[in-house]
Amino acid sequence: MSDTLEKLTEETAFLDLHKNFVEENKPNSALSAIHESALSRFEVLGFPHSKHEMYTYVNTKKLAATAFAVSSPSEKIDLIDKHIYSGCENSCLVFVNGVLDQTLSRLQAIESSVKISSLEEKDDVDTLLVSLENENDVFACLANAFCADVTVVEIPDKGQVAVPIQVLFVSTGDTSRPEMHSPRLLWKVGKLAEVKVIEKFVGMQEGYFTNMVQDWKVAEGAGVILTQVQSDPFGAWNFQKTRVHIKRNARFHSANASSGSVLVHNHFEVRLEEEGAEVILNGVSVLKGKEQVHNFIRIHHEAPQCISHQHFKNVINDEGRSSFDGTVIVNQGAQLTNANQLINNLMLSDDCHADNKPNLMIFADDVKCAHGATIGQIDEEQLFYLQTRGLSKKFAKELLTRSFAESIVQTIQFPEVVKELNNTLLKKLEVENV
Amino acid sequence: MLEIKDLHAGVDGSEIIKGISLSVNKGEIHAIMGPNGSGKSTLAKILSGHPAYETTAGKVTFDAKDLLEMDAEERSIAGVFMGFQYPVEVPGVNNAEFLRMAHNARRVSAGEEEIDPLDFDELLSEKMKTLGMEKKYKERNLNDGFSGGEKKKNEILQMAILEPKLAILDETDSGLDIDALRIVSEGVNKLRNNNNALILITHYQRLLDYIKPDFVHVLSKGKIIKSGDKSLALELESQGYDWITPVN
Repeated sequence: MSDTLEKLTEETAFLDLHKNFVEENKPNSALSAIHESALSRFEVLGFPHSKHEMYTYVNTKKLAATAFAVSSPSEKIDLIDKHIYSGCENSCLVFVNGVLDQTLSRLQAIESSVKISSLEEKDDVDTLLVSLENENDVFACLANAFCADVTVVEIPDKGQVAVPIQVLFVSTGDTSRPEMHSPRLLWKVGKLAEVKVIEKFVGMQEGYFTNMVQDWKVAEGAGVILTQVQSDPFGAWNFQKTRVHIKRNARFHSANASSGSVLVHNHFEVRLEEEGAEVILNGVSVLKGKEQVHNFIRIHHEAPQCISHQHFKNVINDEGRSSFDGTVIVNQGAQLTNANQLINNLMLSDDCHADNKPNLMIFADDVKCAHGATIGQIDEEQLFYLQTRGLSKKFAKELLTRSFAESIVQTIQFPEVVKELNNTLLKKLEVENV
Repeated sequence: MLEIKDLHAGVDGSEIIKGISLSVNKGEIHAIMGPNGSGKSTLAKILSGHPAYETTAGKVTFDAKDLLEMDAEERSIAGVFMGFQYPVEVPGVNNAEFLRMAHNARRVSAGEEEIDPLDFDELLSEKMKTLGMEKKYKERNLNDGFSGGEKKKNEILQMAILEPKLAILDETDSGLDIDALRIVSEGVNKLRNNNNALILITHYQRLLDYIKPDFVHVLSKGKIIKSGDKSLALELESQGYDWITPVN
């Protein structure tokens, strides 16, 4: 009984917060419709208990019990330049505390090829409302309820975006008064269009909860390359829900590099809706201290001849913790599906922890599906072999752990991002740190 | 150069080497032959410093230093090279980069500067050519997906890059077809000079047609039961090990 009361209080706190949020932001009718739908879904779902399917391995109790504030979007910051990748100087969307900042964003290089707007069109509103009806992730509902705007990015049919678009999510952070930020995006990639996007999450200091939701509508024959870099400070929560709809012969390739924090949760829901659609999801994390990264993935093969590949690698040291819960669902009729799923964990300490749940649900009879998970330590024979060639044990260990993680980093197509990850994510594996 | 005195050693508490003494001098080639299970590979593991293998008695010195006190990497730096019977696959570590790191580890410990990457590439190309190795083996990961023959060639390539004083080749001939055996043997012969030494551990006499040993030792049940010159190897080839190994 006391549990129920406590739970109610937690949810009530967010409902109260929402009242203030609405008063301050005065959303238009389109946004209000989203908010209301999301909020009622939030009330139905409630915060996850420890046996909740989506959050079995993820302890969200502290997060749910935190009294967040919702920031006013006027906060001024500078010093974002160092987070903008070379080549994206004139093609970056900057979100400060969850809200698109028009003055910091620089769009000269993509103005002619990309249309960026707020949520206005009825079709878009309907799209979001339909997806909310089926939203089972309570935190995604929360993000929808608290978004100050929905940024719609549209690449027209046959549009070729010459430069990568960077989306930078900056949080100012405040440890004494943690804030919840809910950036909300809708990507509409037209027929035969091509776009490359780099999403980066950073914080000026600890004490915030970035709760991002994005929908991708990838039309026939289009191609998307999405790279995500999570590098928040330790005391920041980072949740994201990425929902992807892929049409005939379209491709969506993504790579996620997470350096972890007190809690990072990446949720991908991908629907291969028409023949020949293809998705690649890769991910790598390097965790130390008490850092955590959790991946929750659902891939729905809804049409024949679709391809899905997933490869996730985690290197976990100290008391780090990761989980991977991934299911590939092959619907009836989705013949000639080709689906792969592989998770590799390298455990470097006695106290680190990894949970893996690779799943296949197949309702078609002519498919090629494979899945697997490994949890291992540094291979002693490999270590010895390298030592017999004169490499010190420490150096050989570093080489082996680095090469383990590097294979995913190398799938990232932007040299600037790879260079950065070499100096940040992979740096965590250096001799003095292992 | 290498002095083994009454060596007793084993793994997991069981004694496999039961008193081996052997002296190897500069410029010499020693072949250690013996039936399966005689302790040949255990001897190689002990000499290369494998952490799972344990010495229970005896002494091994290399250039007057206690070899058994040294870690595997220290032995390599000191000039001992071990050619593995089963070279380990290391996915994710580029072969050429690994070879350069190994080469540099040796140079740095000798107080020399690291080699210029372009110079090393030239050196590597030249050594690979003599071993008949295709260029693609530079780009590939260390032994990852190599055929048995290419793995053994890659071992000899490492030996060529590291220029050891003492090389111990453990069953380098096994798994090689006759052409690959000839190429590998020629590669080894090219690296030979009066200042280095070689220990060949092998089950078959075949290798010794290409690399001529000065001494042949027969190992059985953890002991050297007979030593001789290369004619001993021929006798073993024609008559097998039975005439020589103790029956119990």
